[in-house]
Amino acid sequence: MFIDIDCNQLKKYNQNAFGDYFVSKRYPDEAKLIAVLSDGLGSGIKANILSCMTATMLLRFVENSQIPIKHAAEIVMNSLPVCKVRKISYSTFSVIDVNDEGDAKIIEEGNPEFLWIKNNEVMTPQYESIPSKTFKNRCMKSYKIHLELGDRLIFCSDGVTQCGLGNSRLKLGLRREGLIQLVLAKLAEEPDISSSDLSAYIVRQAKNIETDRLPKDDISACVLYCREPRTSLVFTGPPFLQKKDAEYAQMFNDFKGKKAICGGTTANLLSRELNIPITMDKAISVGKLPSCSYMDGVDLVTEGILTLTQALEYLELGQITGIDNAAGKLVKFLLDSDCINFMVGAKLNQAHYNPALPIEIEIRKNIIKKMAVVLQDKYFKKVNVQYM
Amino acid sequence: MEKISVKVCLGTTCFVMGSANLQELIDIVPAKYGDKVDVSGVPCLGLCSTDWEFSKAPYVKVDNDIIKEATVEKVLSAINAKLESK
Repeated sequence: MFIDIDCNQLKKYNQNAFGDYFVSKRYPDEAKLIAVLSDGLGSGIKANILSCMTATMLLRFVENSQIPIKHAAEIVMNSLPVCKVRKISYSTFSVIDVNDEGDAKIIEEGNPEFLWIKNNEVMTPQYESIPSKTFKNRCMKSYKIHLELGDRLIFCSDGVTQCGLGNSRLKLGLRREGLIQLVLAKLAEEPDISSSDLSAYIVRQAKNIETDRLPKDDISACVLYCREPRTSLVFTGPPFLQKKDAEYAQMFNDFKGKKAICGGTTANLLSRELNIPITMDKAISVGKLPSCSYMDGVDLVTEGILTLTQALEYLELGQITGIDNAAGKLVKFLLDSDCINFMVGAKLNQAHYNPALPIEIEIRKNIIKKMAVVLQDKYFKKVNVQYM
Repeated sequence: MEKISVKVCLGTTCFVMGSANLQELIDIVPAKYGDKVDVSGVPCLGLCSTDWEFSKAPYVKVDNDIIKEATVEKVLSAINAKLESK
């Protein structure tokens, strides 16, 4: 099972920093994911610092199972200072620790209760209340739930549940009931909506409800969606031992999921071993990169190093839409997947060591290494790299 | 008459060494020779790895003849030579 997670946010109007902070990290070795959403008191820079500190500290505590999640959350709850003016804590938070089997531990302190949607119904999970030993008005809720395929969790800051507060239609704001209605209606319309689209939708609707469409508080919505993973395979570079070509080609052929080939030699090798002819575009280059070619049963065939380097740059810069060249297509291919497997050939092309070649020609292994990191850390993908 | 096939290598080495500049061929050749000549890119001709010490990229194949350090002019004259000999 794959957990598709994303968060969308809006700043309070007239502010130049987000007062809510979201952080999420996958741990492929432990097959789990930790995410934290924190809402800092007030807005702007101050709130940003408070929420950022709370969220990153919680993540650090919990990762590598250093401190059990409940204990970590308790430490934070008991130590957050109190605002002198408002007499409430500096920040609120929700922590989610979920593994690939769907076992989730969730702790909330001060944030609106999360929504758990199963088969278009909102569940009411049991929880344990843990009052703070140091502050009377603080109490965290600890949940242990089991998620199944198709389940969704929605976390949000109070900016969502309180949006529209005081306007003529929603005197008390959207509230939890309003959010549930909004989400269920959207799910009825688009049952397979991705976390990214659903969180963007919630945030957009919250903004629309606000008087004059100006957010009166920071608005954040984080969505988790349990679904079958969309897997893909990128084959790049010829294997070190030529006699293994056939074996690796067969592995490529047997893979169930989307497939891409990055590299001219690699494409030739697979075309030869699998007996699939290659056809080319009627163009030499598109946007300073060699154009794509086509093979039956392969979703994308591009040149190697240059395209990978450019795609890496797009991923790092976050320029991920509306690019027409081969690297743009590769970026789309990668981001449309949840689990990405790289088969990286270790054979070196000596021609790439020609000093006349531009310095940008990097070693394939290095590019893939960097790409795996950015896909994991920035785009929350599961990445598996195999050298051959 | 069988078409003359022109294959421009679009492998990494050839592309950075100049095949990116052979885009012109795609426009010139059909205008000049009509359907007698067929130009297309190929993912990689695999020549740079056998010929690397002398670095003669970019490579273009006109039927079975290899043109090293190919330019638009070199390719066009190779096509002319082929057409004359037929």
